[in-house]
Amino acid sequence: MSESEQQQEAEKVCEPQWPENGGEWSDGEEETSMDCGLLQAMADEDEEINVHNEETFGMDLDAHETTGDPSSSSLQFEEPPPLTVPPQPDPKPQSPHCRPSPPRQRPQYPHWRGRGRGLGRGQIFEDPAVMRTVAGRPSLKSLDSAIVDCGSAMYHNIFDDRMMPSYRKTRRGTGSILQDSAIVCVIGHRGRGQHLNSNFTDLQYPGPPFENRRGDPRGSYTRRQFGSRGPSQMQAPIVPGSPLFTRQPLTPRRPFNQQTGGFAFPLNRPCPSTPQSLNPKVMQLRFGANSPRPSPIHSPSSNPVQQLRYPGPVTQLHPQHKRLLSQKQRIFQRKCDGWDPYCNLMTAKEKEWITRLQMIQLQSENPFLEDYYYQEYYRRIEAKMAEEELGIRGKREPLKLTTPYISKTYSYTPVVHIEGSLGQVAVSTCYSPRRAISAVHAVQAQGPHEEPKDTRQQRLEILSKIEKLFVVLLEVEETARMKTTVLSEAEEKRLMEKTQRKVEHIYSQLQHHHPLDSGVEFLPFLLVSKGKKLLARLLPYLKHDSALKILRIVTANLPAIMSRDADEALPVLFQSLRNVISSLSFSQVIGFLKDLTSSESLSMYECLTLACQNKFGLSLLYAFLSQGEKLLSSGAPLEPCIGDFEVWIDTVFQVAAQLSQCSLVEPLLMPSNLLSLFCRYLDKRTVHQLKSNMESATGFLALPS
Amino acid sequence: MNYVPGTSSLIEDIDKKHLVLLRDGRTLIGYLRSIDQFANLVFHQTVERIHVGKKFGDIPRGIFIVRGENVVLLGEIDVDRPCDTVLQQVSIEEILEEQRLEQQAKQETEKVKMQVLKDRGLSIPKADNLDEY
Repeated sequence: MSESEQQQEAEKVCEPQWPENGGEWSDGEEETSMDCGLLQAMADEDEEINVHNEETFGMDLDAHETTGDPSSSSLQFEEPPPLTVPPQPDPKPQSPHCRPSPPRQRPQYPHWRGRGRGLGRGQIFEDPAVMRTVAGRPSLKSLDSAIVDCGSAMYHNIFDDRMMPSYRKTRRGTGSILQDSAIVCVIGHRGRGQHLNSNFTDLQYPGPPFENRRGDPRGSYTRRQFGSRGPSQMQAPIVPGSPLFTRQPLTPRRPFNQQTGGFAFPLNRPCPSTPQSLNPKVMQLRFGANSPRPSPIHSPSSNPVQQLRYPGPVTQLHPQHKRLLSQKQRIFQRKCDGWDPYCNLMTAKEKEWITRLQMIQLQSENPFLEDYYYQEYYRRIEAKMAEEELGIRGKREPLKLTTPYISKTYSYTPVVHIEGSLGQVAVSTCYSPRRAISAVHAVQAQGPHEEPKDTRQQRLEILSKIEKLFVVLLEVEETARMKTTVLSEAEEKRLMEKTQRKVEHIYSQLQHHHPLDSGVEFLPFLLVSKGKKLLARLLPYLKHDSALKILRIVTANLPAIMSRDADEALPVLFQSLRNVISSLSFSQVIGFLKDLTSSESLSMYECLTLACQNKFGLSLLYAFLSQGEKLLSSGAPLEPCIGDFEVWIDTVFQVAAQLSQCSLVEPLLMPSNLLSLFCRYLDKRTVHQLKSNMESATGFLALPS
Repeated sequence: MNYVPGTSSLIEDIDKKHLVLLRDGRTLIGYLRSIDQFANLVFHQTVERIHVGKKFGDIPRGIFIVRGENVVLLGEIDVDRPCDTVLQQVSIEEILEEQRLEQQAKQETEKVKMQVLKDRGLSIPKADNLDEY
């Protein structure tokens, strides 16, 4: 097909399709598409199935882009995959459904890339089937093998004017955002930014990469992509060999009247409101199997956003499913027409558009952070279903919300801001709501060397510190959770280092509340219930020494901590501490027991009494004793220090005396080897007394007799 | 069919009769024809319903476009269900008159209350004058 014909067809396709032109939205298209017949629908569907399969399952690189012409197909790729896929048996409909133009063949735009490059114009390619090769500019593909497929966006740059390819998009009859070439540009360029930065800086772009009919310069627009990268993009783990589109697949333009909340790509150039003639149909972002997945679970049946060529990780409806859905829709619509003449003022396309927008609004990079309850709910449902039906799999997967992967930036600005004010409006009404208060203590103005602050301020500081550290902890936990994804060695190491640094940061921050603080380390945080939670969740990530330190602080200050535990939040610490305890050696156990029983102001007796009357204290005591007993009875060499055994026996006796006398509370965990411990050292009567006392506390026969 | 599991959307409510309460206290009843991403609503055959005591009156309003942020709540009306007959429908003039009277009465009591408080040296500041959150 000659270029002029291509151009003609390209022109034909230029139609407004963006929501702004909603009024002109092609209901007509829909209707006629239905008229065009079942056969076409079937052919479409077959093709969609192909597309769907490729996109879901990967690397069928070039299925779309081959034409009937074998010559161009052999020009395709430099790369090894000799998937010069046989031209599709059912050529995709390049023209919108009901264009009268019969040729439903693909426009032939030869891929003037790769191979053509080394050969001069008119040179004969080694393949006798090739009729002509043309030297083209280096394509993205050739420059960077990581890119699986760079859609149309880059082609504009590469081709000369006269070789204007006509990109038709397949009109599936719905308002695909990708119909707008402006967005395609965004996709095309944003997605490739990271790689291109290194590869393309020395490439001379002769002008605006996109020559379009209107002559709108897009150069500044696209070049901007390479330079500025949002932080979100940078965080993408760069896996060599994996395509890069995942980060910025889609940023809808800003045609909406109201601000749609700041998409990651603020458009600050005059966008034409109608798409250019170069239809970005070919903007098919395909991704290999390695592409990083933004969301953990994909249930293939749940994504309703059908027409969009999103990057692979976003699931799409299987075309047959889609067909069923649209059938259902049509039925429903027809039913409504009978009695309500005004129904369906809102077309299906518009509804879909809204749904899509809502999905965009819902998506997040960190679902466990932002949508915790839904994630938890879904996880529980899945767990329950997994339990229930180990047999019937795959059919009844619960629907999961999977959203298209689009980065968004949030910014909350206060609605009313008065110059010179400190940011908070005095009056908060429903018409001018005040910005949410952040628990920032007013101390920031003070330097580090100042007068002692009052307790309220200090408490606020501690609280705010805990909040900040919690956020870091959540990040740590998130990385730990995401570790299961496939990452390269270097990546993983880097990630682990980063995580470790965060953990250390939290640790050091908790250790000393204030640089000049001479108080007990960690103690201020241990007195706050959220601080206890924070420590409890941090403990698994800490190194052994650090964990030991925390344990030491807890045991040494146990009376104080217990007495100031008004919310009874201590038990959260127990499990993590217990894990630490189970890794102790004998002398360490002795050391801790000594700490526990020797406090500055209280005698051993008093300490123990206090401990016994507090759930956490008692459980901790039991845990230590249990560990000691475990070590003793395990027969492994203990390497005790001098005096260890004496202390041990002494402690045991003391504890036994305590336990038998005072009333016990129910411990959080009753170790099973305590009685055997006591049996070893005490006479039967005492043991019996002990046993009954402990049992009455726990309420059941927990101990073997 | 809910395309987006785990969420709720107004899409299913389209072309159904709804009752919407606005932030300024107005109650509108109409057929929801169209929405957008901000939950701006387009109502058709809208009626503004004023309630005073056990009486209510309907003022036909035609087509309403409600800005999303002004919606307090929105609920579907089941047209098939017989409505409660506790409330008595009256004419528009009557209900407006009733409303005016009610407003007047409220203002009176408010004035008396403020006076009483002032006499005792107390003051309950209105939202506009609040210094602290």
